[in-house]
Amino acid sequence: MWRRLRHAARTILGRNGLRDEVAGDVQFHLDARAEDLMTRGMSADAARRQARLEFGAVEAYREDTRQAAGLSLLSDVRADLVYATRLTRRQPAFACAAIGSLALGIGVNTLVFSVASGLVMRPLPVDRPDQLVTIQDGSSEGLSYPAYRDLRDQNATFAGVAGYRIAPMSLEHDGTASRAWGYLATGDYFDVLGVRPAAGRFFHQDEDEPPAESPVAVISYDCWIGRFGGAMRVVGSTVRINGRPYTVLGVAPSGFVGTEMFYRPDIWVPMTMQPQIEARSSWLESRLVRDIFAVGRLRPGVSQPQAQANVTAISASLAREYPSTDEGLSFKLAEPGLLGDTLRTPIKAFSIGLLALATLVLLMACVNLAVMFTARGADRQRELAIRLSIGAGRGRIVRQLLTETLLFAVVGGAVGLGIAVGSAQMLSAWRPPVDVPIQFDVTADMRVFVFALVVATLAGVLFGLAPALKASRTDAQAALKDLDPRAGGGRRLAMRDVLVAAQVAICFVLVAGCFLALRGLQSALTMPIGFEPTGVTMVGYDLGLAGYSPARGADFEQRAVEAVRRLPGIDHAAFGDTIPLYLNESNTSVAPDDRPDLPPSRRVGTARYEVSSDYFTTMGTRILQGRGIEASDTARAPTVAVVNETFATRVFRTNAPVGRRFKDFGHGDDWVEVVGVSEDGKYQSLSEAPRPAVFEAIAQNYQATISLVARSSLPSDQVVAEIRRAFERLDPAIALYETQTVDDMLGLVLLPSRAAAIALGAFGILAVLLALTGLHGVVTNAVAKRQREIGIRVAIGAQPGEILRLVLSRTLVLLGVGTIAGLLLVLLGSRVLASVVYQASPRDPLVLVGVGASLAIVGALACWAPARRALRLNPVTALRSE
Amino acid sequence: MPDRANLVPGTLELLILKAVSLGRLHGYGILLRIQQISGGALDVEQGALYPALYRLERAGQLDTEWGTSDNNRRAKFYRLTPAGRARLRDATEAWRRTAGAMAAALRARADEV
Repeated sequence: MWRRLRHAARTILGRNGLRDEVAGDVQFHLDARAEDLMTRGMSADAARRQARLEFGAVEAYREDTRQAAGLSLLSDVRADLVYATRLTRRQPAFACAAIGSLALGIGVNTLVFSVASGLVMRPLPVDRPDQLVTIQDGSSEGLSYPAYRDLRDQNATFAGVAGYRIAPMSLEHDGTASRAWGYLATGDYFDVLGVRPAAGRFFHQDEDEPPAESPVAVISYDCWIGRFGGAMRVVGSTVRINGRPYTVLGVAPSGFVGTEMFYRPDIWVPMTMQPQIEARSSWLESRLVRDIFAVGRLRPGVSQPQAQANVTAISASLAREYPSTDEGLSFKLAEPGLLGDTLRTPIKAFSIGLLALATLVLLMACVNLAVMFTARGADRQRELAIRLSIGAGRGRIVRQLLTETLLFAVVGGAVGLGIAVGSAQMLSAWRPPVDVPIQFDVTADMRVFVFALVVATLAGVLFGLAPALKASRTDAQAALKDLDPRAGGGRRLAMRDVLVAAQVAICFVLVAGCFLALRGLQSALTMPIGFEPTGVTMVGYDLGLAGYSPARGADFEQRAVEAVRRLPGIDHAAFGDTIPLYLNESNTSVAPDDRPDLPPSRRVGTARYEVSSDYFTTMGTRILQGRGIEASDTARAPTVAVVNETFATRVFRTNAPVGRRFKDFGHGDDWVEVVGVSEDGKYQSLSEAPRPAVFEAIAQNYQATISLVARSSLPSDQVVAEIRRAFERLDPAIALYETQTVDDMLGLVLLPSRAAAIALGAFGILAVLLALTGLHGVVTNAVAKRQREIGIRVAIGAQPGEILRLVLSRTLVLLGVGTIAGLLLVLLGSRVLASVVYQASPRDPLVLVGVGASLAIVGALACWAPARRALRLNPVTALRSE
Repeated sequence: MPDRANLVPGTLELLILKAVSLGRLHGYGILLRIQQISGGALDVEQGALYPALYRLERAGQLDTEWGTSDNNRRAKFYRLTPAGRARLRDATEAWRRTAGAMAAALRARADEV
């Protein structure tokens, strides 16, 4: 028993020892036998040879013995690993290329898939999220509160329908006020979502019955921990929101962020508190203000089509019942979490485009591995033949190759995982430079990682094994004698040619994507946006939060802008309720004087800005006709507006609308007179088509939320500091927020273009790297294989040109074929590319020429070193080497 | 060598155990001893010895130690363990029975049937 244990211990602990033991044992036998033979008069050499001959197949017996000794699979694998590592160290370039390809292919795919699943595929973190749907009007509009209420009460397919609206507020506790972000939510909000409070309780339907006030609040878990230190006594206590006491009912559970995926709210307040929270008059009875997002939970057993039919019927009946306001109403179901379809549609298109390109990167990495392992397998046929001839088993050789491939896979996979996890963490930690608490939650998706790893490894195994198996099938002697490696290799090379051409084609597509994204970014950066952002600083403040009445507020706003204008170094200053391309936007619908009775569906929707005098000069927007808004346009003067060119042609069907009048249905029944025409611009996003926009006098339509803009040649920090001091002198209780340059603000608008440029730029670089290694491998191989031929040709006086043609012709053909295939792919896939990059067409000749040039450079770089080697080949050494 | 016989399969281990039972031996010594006790009539392929030796060691029927050979080289010596001795006894008994039965069977003449 003890002996057995000892043997087992020796087998496990001292595998190398046991291995040496077998070798020593056999060696001793051979030596002893040789000595015996020598005593019978044989020469030393002859005796040794005879001893080996008598012993039989030394290598095979050693192997058998090792196996008999229990040195089975495990230790063989270890030996294989050692051998593989040694080989890898001898060929560092090959190892780097293989591991790099694997790591990039796997890492990029894991990351992109994780981001995509984090963006569009993840359900809201609530109970049974698959039952939740968003109900929106048309393709992106919200619902009015009355329409929401009708939907909630009249539907037959939902267990409950909740409404909500994102709302900033001022949260005061311990005597200091700070800006908080929250939701106005209908009373059944938490019940519909099916969440349980972490502490206290939520509010319910009976606490949200407009117009009865209900000053209660629920805070988020993060807010509870962050602002209140997680103290239990917060529940039931009173906080001040916008200067008014609210009772904190409870705390939402950890991880619950409400009904929008990227928005981290602090607080939920019943919808009935809207006038106080938004510091504007109640719109809860207006069917024109469609500011509610509705989310419904389907009744068990109700399908989406059934629910869709139900809401369609309700919207149709509302349109009949309230034709002046709800004509054309058409409810539509959408997936919740990304403002209905408003964000989901473009984000989904972008993600799918990126996924397609990332898959191409993986494909390219696989092709690369295939090319490399095929080449290597071919190169090693001789080595394998030698090992076979000294008795190594076929299975053993296959296992050896598998071990090598897996070694690469493990190392490459680990690096790839590092890339994916690291970037995912960076992305999760990143917060866009805006005031709103936006956060992306991206965690590396392990399933994708495993998938990519397996695919890439399989590619390596498959293509590495094929030539090895072929080698092991061939007669060892023939393989050894066969000094011309090209013999019988025609098909193998053809296979590799196909792979390389495919690689070039994929590279073409990815590089084209890269160029397109750069073109898109360039056009986004240089596109006319209807104002001059550089040199303009903006600050925001909210008089509603500070408790100003409209009369006092209007007076304050005027005094504030005048104080800012008087500051040193300020060229112009103005204010408005918001500015173009800012997150905050306002829309209305209008009808012209010659057709005042247009039904709602035929009225023209337009972006609306309430602005002060000097607004156009401050923003650098050109007035093409008439005048801008002036100080004389007071509340007592006639109601006036400046419209843009698109507004003029859409609403008035004329280029000269000055003097015409229109009705703004967002404001009531007054006629508004057009006093000027401004140039067109961008209002919501850079990719939008020209939209109508109207600029009304803010003195005639009081607004409490203000964006003040100032143009100055001074540094923005200094301007902000000056403005801050001016405000402190006017009213120290007013908090300034969103102090930034307009250029910075545009950073967010440019984010999609930048993201596309970064992602596709990275893909392009990856593709170039992969193609470079692939092509380089092919040419190097071609040179190495034809060394002798080149040597002979040089010896008989071939010119460098002929040698180059010999070495490069195949590569050039492959490049050409690959490029044409890539071009076709790009033209076929232009729709996918267009979803990732806007403002750029794949048919852009500049892009295609750029891609072609890049590939030419790649080809030249890949061929440079091996071609030089071929040219410098010394015929004598070349011929001797074989 | 005209009268050399190939080994009946399965008998190599028995021969090794027998050889070692006569005294501690190294691998090459076992080969010589088998040739000696079989009068050179049994042809053992030399390489085949070693897988069998390690199998027996692993089965606990042989014990090993490193020692010095006659010509002062380090060599691995094999010795029978009690388990090996028992196996030798059983296997010898079984072989005798088989051999006896085989011999009897092969001696049979027509009139005896």
